[in-house]
Amino acid sequence: MRLILGVLALALATGCAIDTAGPARAAERFSAAIAARQSEAACALLARKTAEKLPDSGQTCAEALRELNLGDPGGITEVNVWGDTALVRLAGDTLFLQRYTDGWRGKAAACEPVPDLPYDCEVEN
Amino acid sequence: MSRIRDNALSIAFMALFLVCLAGQALAGMLDYNEQQLVGGGQPVGYLDYITSSNFAVNVAENWQSEYLQFLLFILFTIWMVQRGSPESKEPGEEGAESDEKQQIGRYAEADSPAWARVKGLRLWLYSNSLGLTMGAIFVLSWLAQSVAGVASYNAERLGDLRDPVSWSSYVTSPDFWNRSLQNWQSELLAVLSMVVLSIYLRQRGSPESKPVGAAHTATGVEG
Repeated sequence: MRLILGVLALALATGCAIDTAGPARAAERFSAAIAARQSEAACALLARKTAEKLPDSGQTCAEALRELNLGDPGGITEVNVWGDTALVRLAGDTLFLQRYTDGWRGKAAACEPVPDLPYDCEVEN
Repeated sequence: MSRIRDNALSIAFMALFLVCLAGQALAGMLDYNEQQLVGGGQPVGYLDYITSSNFAVNVAENWQSEYLQFLLFILFTIWMVQRGSPESKEPGEEGAESDEKQQIGRYAEADSPAWARVKGLRLWLYSNSLGLTMGAIFVLSWLAQSVAGVASYNAERLGDLRDPVSWSSYVTSPDFWNRSLQNWQSELLAVLSMVVLSIYLRQRGSPESKPVGAAHTATGVEG
């Protein structure tokens, strides 16, 4: 019985002990960089795989991000964290983040919802 | 030494359980880390993995089904028989049985448990304590599966750039029921196999089998 209660407590802890501050800070920094047209700074906040996939051949991440001409994502309206992943809704965007040892990084940005399917994101890995 | 011998069965199963649980955690971590790398995530260590929702849901989904299996076996064999099976009572003995046969109340023996000698709620609780405990562990494990399951499922969904779902949506989702039913069907098949095969087959020396020479029609006889 104690083992079961332990697993239940573990499940509740892993499911409910939510640290939303980390992803919220990362999303705020990314949003501020996009709003200020600081593409290099925004790229530095992306996950490595996302930053590598974004540019076309011969382009840098910052050039590719500038070319997308993303609008001001605005302030945070909702933060959802599950394990090492997070979804942050902003007034004008939806961001997906992933936790790494050096903190939260953007996995996908400029995302539009698609009913019953994954979000359609202009920036994704 | 005799204490170990007297408890050899429990010790053996506890040791195997712990080895398998540790093995599951290791294999689960390696599998999880493979998926993390594919999804652009970061591998986790052993301690991080055994406190993750992924490990918790995989443990809990198996636990709940095992306790459900034994709960059903304990309850069904009160009222249902299988002629020829050592797992069953004799046909005609269906039901909760008399106080005399159950050695309760005034029929209790000198070495009967204290709550078998009393009346009322304590006797009722003790009379059903095995089923109640198995049932409680089943319900708690299944609840743990649902809570850890929604956390693990939502982490996967966010990784796939999809919206998370609520607990109430998760417990009606295909993921939850696939995890539950795939375990239930295998447990029920195992019980069915035990009940039916033990009519015709024998394992010499095992109390789970009839004696080798017992008739196929002999019911409730253990070797």
